[in-house]
Amino acid sequence: MEILVNLDVMMARRKISSGELAERIGITPANLSILKNGKAKAIRFSTLMALCRELSCQPGDLLEFRDEEEHAE
Amino acid sequence: MKISKDKSILLSRCCIVLFAAALLALDGGGYFAARWFCAVRSLDRAALYAMTAAIYLCSVFAWIALWQLWRLLGNLRREAVFTAENVRRLRIVSWCCVGVAAVCFAACFFYLPFLFVAIAAGFMALIVRIIKNVFEQAIEMKSELDLTI
Repeated sequence: MEILVNLDVMMARRKISSGELAERIGITPANLSILKNGKAKAIRFSTLMALCRELSCQPGDLLEFRDEEEHAE
Repeated sequence: MKISKDKSILLSRCCIVLFAAALLALDGGGYFAARWFCAVRSLDRAALYAMTAAIYLCSVFAWIALWQLWRLLGNLRREAVFTAENVRRLRIVSWCCVGVAAVCFAACFFYLPFLFVAIAAGFMALIVRIIKNVFEQAIEMKSELDLTI
């Protein structure tokens, strides 16, 4: 079971670069990279809110729950 | 009186230097002190040998522990507090205390008051071990915090 972060998909759809998005939401490009690569252990509501605001999307568009067992079947 | 963090570390380092000087003196005159003590207390040669062996074996553990504490304080001064290296150093200090406790426990069969040193060293090992566990937990929490975006 894991939560996938589909940030790169949304960024591609909105045609926005990592550096620009990081600047707009007020986090460092390094932290945005951690989020994009799925290495983050948690995400603050404030960060999620800023991402949704800048990418004009819902939290569900960025986060996806995947059950590995179900996926394997 | 409020002591700043840097001064506190400096004070701790001075204490380590003092302990090292005392340990050096003990290494130099350990046998003679033990011989004098055994003569005053009219203890037999077995007690003298046990006491001398205990002093020098404990001295080895004490040097290792002092060196680890010195390096640990160096890390603290560089603000590298919750690191795996510091946990390893605390673990070594804890095992040194266990070593001293074991040596003193063995020596207490020849001279009973060594039992008190053994108990004190064992208790110290327990305290250092718990501090090491706290550091381990703190490292885990720090890594979680670092990966919270």
